[in-house]
Amino acid sequence: MSNLKNYKQKMERQEILDGLLEVLRTVRTIDPARLEGVTEETDFLTDLSTPSTELINIAAKVEHKFDIEFEDDDIDRMGSKVKDIIDLIIMVKERGENQ
Amino acid sequence: MQVAGRKVAIVGMGGAFPACSGLDEFNHKLFTNQSLVREWDLAVQYSKQIRSTVSGYITEEEMGLEAVWAPITEKYPETYIDKLGRIPDGNLSTADMGSVWAMLGAQESVKMAGWTEKETQSEQTGVVVGSGGAGNQILRVAWHYFFQMGKKARIAGAHTVDRSMSYREAANISCLLKTKGVCESITSACATGLGNIGHAYRLIKFGLQDRAIAGGVEGTALETFIGFDGMMILSKGFSPAESSRPFDINRNGFVCSFGAGIVALEEYEMAKARGANIIGVIDEYFNNSDGDGDMFYPSFAGQQRLWKGLMPDKGLRPDVVKMHGTSTPVGDSVELLSVVDALGEEGFHLSAPKSQFGHMLGGAGSVELITALLMLQNQKVLPCLNSDTLNPEVEGFQKSPDWTGPDKPLAAYRHLVPQQAFEKEINRVACLNYGFGGTNSAMMVSRDI
Repeated sequence: MSNLKNYKQKMERQEILDGLLEVLRTVRTIDPARLEGVTEETDFLTDLSTPSTELINIAAKVEHKFDIEFEDDDIDRMGSKVKDIIDLIIMVKERGENQ
Repeated sequence: MQVAGRKVAIVGMGGAFPACSGLDEFNHKLFTNQSLVREWDLAVQYSKQIRSTVSGYITEEEMGLEAVWAPITEKYPETYIDKLGRIPDGNLSTADMGSVWAMLGAQESVKMAGWTEKETQSEQTGVVVGSGGAGNQILRVAWHYFFQMGKKARIAGAHTVDRSMSYREAANISCLLKTKGVCESITSACATGLGNIGHAYRLIKFGLQDRAIAGGVEGTALETFIGFDGMMILSKGFSPAESSRPFDINRNGFVCSFGAGIVALEEYEMAKARGANIIGVIDEYFNNSDGDGDMFYPSFAGQQRLWKGLMPDKGLRPDVVKMHGTSTPVGDSVELLSVVDALGEEGFHLSAPKSQFGHMLGGAGSVELITALLMLQNQKVLPCLNSDTLNPEVEGFQKSPDWTGPDKPLAAYRHLVPQQAFEKEINRVACLNYGFGGTNSAMMVSRDI
């Protein structure tokens, strides 16, 4: 069972990453070439050279894409790595399901 | 104050012009007596709510741009793609439509001026560019989603402020060109375009800067248009090309248009020393206020004082007066009579470029200064298109016992008001623009001879 759970979690993270990449491809200030080989460890600010103001736009687009709504505190606390935003999406989705 | 002997040259120009791919086409269309006013499909979509549907508007495509529509909000340009690769995406992300035009006009002006990168990026190079309205297209969406839809403030995106703030055009130009001098905006309603150039002229004339990018902008926005439509002061009942008709007896309002005019200014001796092509020399700039407490009604006395300030030395007589000439009933007649009062009944001609492209609001004064420079270059006077019939009767206000101006009707000055472009030796052009609040501005610009 735990293997299946791990597999499901891994797939879910991969799907979210794919969705996130779709969002990032619409952000004109991110060089598309830098999106090749993005992993969960990729840092928006240092690796993708994303202007910090753009993270707010990315967050809004992610909410729209995944049909979720972040609390302002969630965004304030969010780190700048891809895995941070994936963690946040999963957390907010679960929070929504529990409600 | 003014530094003796210091003069200001205009060494570059560019911008955004309705129904034109660039300055060359604008030049050609103007001097072949064409109108750039069209039926505006976007206004027609709201024809039940709107009174006027003609405009000298400019589309994204005409400027080589493509809007990126936001996925979250409908019909909202999140940013623009420059299909011709002139402006980096980072700069586009902080710009509304008008700011994009301002950056393109600034690039063209600097290129025409022939400034080196070092000169452009100097502490001695300033940017003085503004617009008449706020970033209305951007603000509408931000406010709608917050107030009507109850969404979080951040849903409108992180660029609401930089894309709508009052001096957004100047800020975007400075960030693009990396200038290190003064960067600010002058805002004076429909006198904005000339006011910014006038302020930049003073910065150079007073020895504070050696070079400046200056001008005015009004980006295409129905949000801006409807404010004037609601005042019921826009032209109605004519075909698009005949809608803007300064001085004509049947004029009934102005055509609300959009555009950008940017010029490069340089201290005259510096420009001369490096062999720059001097398009024109600014002889004088003067501005004042009516002081009669009226927000809208033009003031003959205010315009008389304007002319006095513009021509302290009576040697500076213009060959052409580039009129504000909006096609509104009272404004045009007061203006024409104040010019006659200042200059007499002959020896000059009137030109009303708004007859060809409408009223570009914050962009009007600077785009019309560019038309004055084109008149100097081409040695041709631009027409007052559609000025078919001038009033043979005196105006109502001329019958008032308080009236101190000319007592002849407008028709007595037909010989000053050309209906077609024509050749003439032009050494000096006076440019006039006025704005709500009773603000008046005037600039005299000469050929470098």
